[in-house]
Amino acid sequence: MSSPGRLRVLRHAPSPAAWNMGVDEALLELADAPTLRLYGWQPHAVSLGYFQRFADFADLPAGTTIVRRLTGGGAIHHGDELTFALALDADRLTGDIAASYRLLHDAVIAALAASGVASHLVAAGDGQTARPEQRWCFQTPGRDDIATAHGKLLGSAQRRVQTPRPRLLHHGSLVLTRPALTPFVAAVADSLPLDAAARARLADTVVTQLAAALGLQPIAGELTAAESDRAAALARQRYADPAFVQRR
Amino acid sequence: MRPTDRNYLKSHEWCKIENGIATIGITDFAVSHLSDLVFLDLPQKGASVTVGEGFGEIESVKAVSSLYSPVSGEVLEANKDLPDNLEWLAQEPFGKAWMIKVKVTSKSPDLMTAAAYDAHCQAEG
Repeated sequence: MSSPGRLRVLRHAPSPAAWNMGVDEALLELADAPTLRLYGWQPHAVSLGYFQRFADFADLPAGTTIVRRLTGGGAIHHGDELTFALALDADRLTGDIAASYRLLHDAVIAALAASGVASHLVAAGDGQTARPEQRWCFQTPGRDDIATAHGKLLGSAQRRVQTPRPRLLHHGSLVLTRPALTPFVAAVADSLPLDAAARARLADTVVTQLAAALGLQPIAGELTAAESDRAAALARQRYADPAFVQRR
Repeated sequence: MRPTDRNYLKSHEWCKIENGIATIGITDFAVSHLSDLVFLDLPQKGASVTVGEGFGEIESVKAVSSLYSPVSGEVLEANKDLPDNLEWLAQEPFGKAWMIKVKVTSKSPDLMTAAAYDAHCQAEG
């Protein structure tokens, strides 16, 4: 049963890329309640957008973990970042995709501001939507992206499905410390000393602001057994499978 | 009113069946909500599609959306020029931006008339 008015919040320690992606897809498939998951990446990894060509990343350092996301957009080097996934029925957000980004991005900007980090939405005309020829999500800030004076700060992407009912998965990657492979990105650490307390406050504020934007009350939760089993299966059968990672 | 010579799904695909062959695409409403299309994947000739299951995927504004089949059957042809000319979807969603042609073995029980689909779009906003 759904829990109207509540946002289930899952907080996961940094985890392997394939498991992270498996959990997010399992939440898209199975989560009854609107769910926000916060996590990180261990080991650090590169995620490709769903439609990106694996061959375009042949120059990455040997041993780089590469995973393919279910969501679109460009590649991200996930290092020290606050990653979140939002899985919910599509009617809780506007059907207009660009408007849904603005709603969630405004919430993240408010959370950053509460932590003393100034950022802004890139206005129409300041940039274009990320084009497919851009390998990296953070390469050039596009319309409605979150940026600081140093560059793009948050990567976002979505997956929308219609069956068994309209659902969406929204991915957000908030850069905390600039990752090695994408030195052109902005980072929270540019303007906020990131001790443990500051990290925790930022994560809490992101939860609070995203929940408020959705009109929901955040409640701490855990993966269900069914979600956990499905996540493990998807991690193994899809996200760790070279045939999926290299499908394009 | 959208074209009345075809039927529609709530998930915003259209389907025009003539002589047992369905031509399938997506509606102007879907295209307006997607905007800034960048990628489209369609099935190959000879592939099977199934009612209610995905037959392709489209990316816009970093969002990937599945395309759902109104019919079951074998793909006779895919619009191979469309992935390189995605602007057609905004220009002529019911015409040259058709996506696949399918030899129909069964069709969705949820297909709507143009009038019913128009009402659905108004409700969805």
